Amino acid sequence: MSKVKSFAGGTHPPGNKEHSSGAAVVRLPAPEVVTVPLCQHLGAPSKPVVKPGDQVLKGSVIGEQNGFISLPTHSPVNGKVLRVENVPMPHMRSGPAVVIKTESEDGGEVYEPITDWEHADTSELVNRIREAGVCGMGGASFPTYVKLSPPEGVTIDTLIINGVECEPYLTADHRLMLERTQDLITGMNILASVLGVTDPVIGIEVNKPDAIKLLQEKGVKVVSLRVQYPQGAEKQLISAVTGRVVPAGGLPLNVGVVVQNVGTCVAVAEAVCSGMPSIRRITTVSGLGVNKPGNFDVCVGTPVSVLIEAAGGYQGEVKRLVSGGPMMGIAMFTDAAPVTKGTSGILALSPGEVRDVEEGPCIRCGKCVDVCPLNLVPCTIATASEFGKWEDAEKAGALNCMACGTCSYVCPAGRYLVQHIKRAQSEIRALAREREA
Amino acid sequence: MTGNRMFDLAVSPHIGSSQNTKRIMWDVVIALIPALVAAFWFFGPRALMLVAASVGAAVLTEWLCLKFMKRPVNFAFDGSAVVTGLLLAYNVPSGVPWWIPVLGSAFAIAVAKQAFGGLGHNIVNPALLGRAFLVASFPVLMTAGWIAPMEWKDGHRIDVQSCGVSTALLSESDELDALSGATPLNVLKQTFSWEGEPGRGEEVRAMLFSKQSLKNLFMGRVGGCIGETSAIMLLLGAIYLVLRGVLELRLPLSYLGSVALFGWLFGGSGWFNGNPLFHLLAGGVILGGFFMITDMVTTPVTKKGRIIFGIGAGLLTMVIRRWGGYPEGCSYSILLMNLGTPLIDRYTRPRAFGEVKKNG
Repeated sequence: MSKVKSFAGGTHPPGNKEHSSGAAVVRLPAPEVVTVPLCQHLGAPSKPVVKPGDQVLKGSVIGEQNGFISLPTHSPVNGKVLRVENVPMPHMRSGPAVVIKTESEDGGEVYEPITDWEHADTSELVNRIREAGVCGMGGASFPTYVKLSPPEGVTIDTLIINGVECEPYLTADHRLMLERTQDLITGMNILASVLGVTDPVIGIEVNKPDAIKLLQEKGVKVVSLRVQYPQGAEKQLISAVTGRVVPAGGLPLNVGVVVQNVGTCVAVAEAVCSGMPSIRRITTVSGLGVNKPGNFDVCVGTPVSVLIEAAGGYQGEVKRLVSGGPMMGIAMFTDAAPVTKGTSGILALSPGEVRDVEEGPCIRCGKCVDVCPLNLVPCTIATASEFGKWEDAEKAGALNCMACGTCSYVCPAGRYLVQHIKRAQSEIRALAREREA
Repeated sequence: MTGNRMFDLAVSPHIGSSQNTKRIMWDVVIALIPALVAAFWFFGPRALMLVAASVGAAVLTEWLCLKFMKRPVNFAFDGSAVVTGLLLAYNVPSGVPWWIPVLGSAFAIAVAKQAFGGLGHNIVNPALLGRAFLVASFPVLMTAGWIAPMEWKDGHRIDVQSCGVSTALLSESDELDALSGATPLNVLKQTFSWEGEPGRGEEVRAMLFSKQSLKNLFMGRVGGCIGETSAIMLLLGAIYLVLRGVLELRLPLSYLGSVALFGWLFGGSGWFNGNPLFHLLAGGVILGGFFMITDMVTTPVTKKGRIIFGIGAGLLTMVIRRWGGYPEGCSYSILLMNLGTPLIDRYTRPRAFGEVKKNG
């Protein structure tokens, strides 16, 4: 195996992946009612084009793209629209969604497959990826086609496929690499051809040796990465694989790199080769708060409660329900919220798994400084934030923080560093808007 | 359906490491125990009594302060007061009366720590400020209260030769009557005043820097403060802290490296003839380098800052040893550097990942 690479800094929380890493993906049928959010991607929500009472086909557009950074939304089932309303969303607020009564999952409407994609026009492929509603499946849900449309004059020479899955508990990408290997490779090759990159690489942490071996056997160039959180953060991954440093406030394309998640590759392959829009995803259900952790292939709009049932239901006291991983995932107040294209996992965490400590005074141990992958001094920013000194927080680099949570994780005083820094970020941005207005 | 159950909300991350402040403090207490054993061995039961008095006074003072200020009194038992009490006691000579460490600990906690806002807010190391207070208030007791190290044999205490320096040679000097109980650094300081008597200083220094003397220093078979003399026992504690992930080595290594370098540079009588090993093992450098300079609250948080702090403290230690008014400079060097910590932190803030260097 080639040399194991890494970024600088970070920490190594217990993986807890063994709960679900051996569980093959189970495909769940669509529930009786699906609640399909129109804002599953980053950017403007899609504009609903259906109304209550309408019959919709699986794969048909129910929300159309609304701007450049936006995507269309498709129905995951054949059925009848019940309501178009605001529903609770995983990100702690409500958002517009189309509620559909499921009638069947057969047939439906797909786009014309582009079987000969090697000879297809780049614009045709990008357009397909856009109209199929493909967004980043790693969690941030950025519209994929935008990343494939670099501005004039920007040359992309490196495509990195993100198979790191550095968040503890999550195994969806791991299972996807093992079970959807061919689609993954096809999707990767489509993306490489769109970008004009000749040798794409895939970055995988060494805690997934089976995936590394399998992909290497298929002739894919794999970069083995140290098990270190947040190895899968875009800028950290780029630094580990290429040694290039994305400028603060900049984008990967500034250093000629595009990063795409393994799940996104599969979605791209489906959209291009089968004409299938992005209406399903693989997600992990784990934590000691569920009976049988596992990985599930579900259609978007499936309520979290249905996934929990599929994982054997709740077990014991559930202290926290999280959408995503335990480091950056979002706590949900209800399991009625639907799965979206970006839901990499659902965690039901027992009291023993959740860190629930009273915030103590900073003892200036500097551990947060040692681990911050962005070289910030989290304790200083957080203290400035606590005292409402937003300008000091900004000067200390608050806006660089990506909220990876590494500092809070290691803090012996149990300080809510990420919370304080996020608070400072929103206050700083609000002040900037005020100045502009 | 399990639907519509409600859950608590919280900001990520939802998990945390098992490290916490209390655990760190008690780990430091555990790491200081080997040195206590050495103190008992060389200075007898009296050392234990002084340490107990000091720790008791520290915890009691902390409790009283918190009570008086109407703050949660359970902070008194987070281990940090115990650490302060231990370190204060380790920094007084074993011959002082019991009320000396009691007074020192009370001052350390009440004035150096609680007056500034308690845990995490003090500017300087409480134990060291407590010691500085004692040295300023009771200079005779604090600089002459040395007890010669002894060892246990068949249930009795027997004398050991402490400095590796023959008494015959030293008795020539009237000032060094009680030399069996003086510290090696006291002797070294004396030799610097013999510049007018060629040969004499060299001879004594050669003895101080001899293998036997260094061995005594390493084991702790020398006069000195209660907890500072036995390098090997302190190192055992330090290894424990490293294994527990509590001790970050930038500060200790830069400090020890700096002491060794400057000790060699000017730790003898002239230039380039000091013995680095002697300067590392004598006095409080090992105790200070692993247990006091590493006080998290009063030292820089940045990586570069910690190295600057260590080098600066090492330089100051050696300057005081060579030219200062005291034979030992470890504690004052750390106190002085503590005051520079905010400044060091400000000027060593690391450049953020991807941040472009600003011109001008």
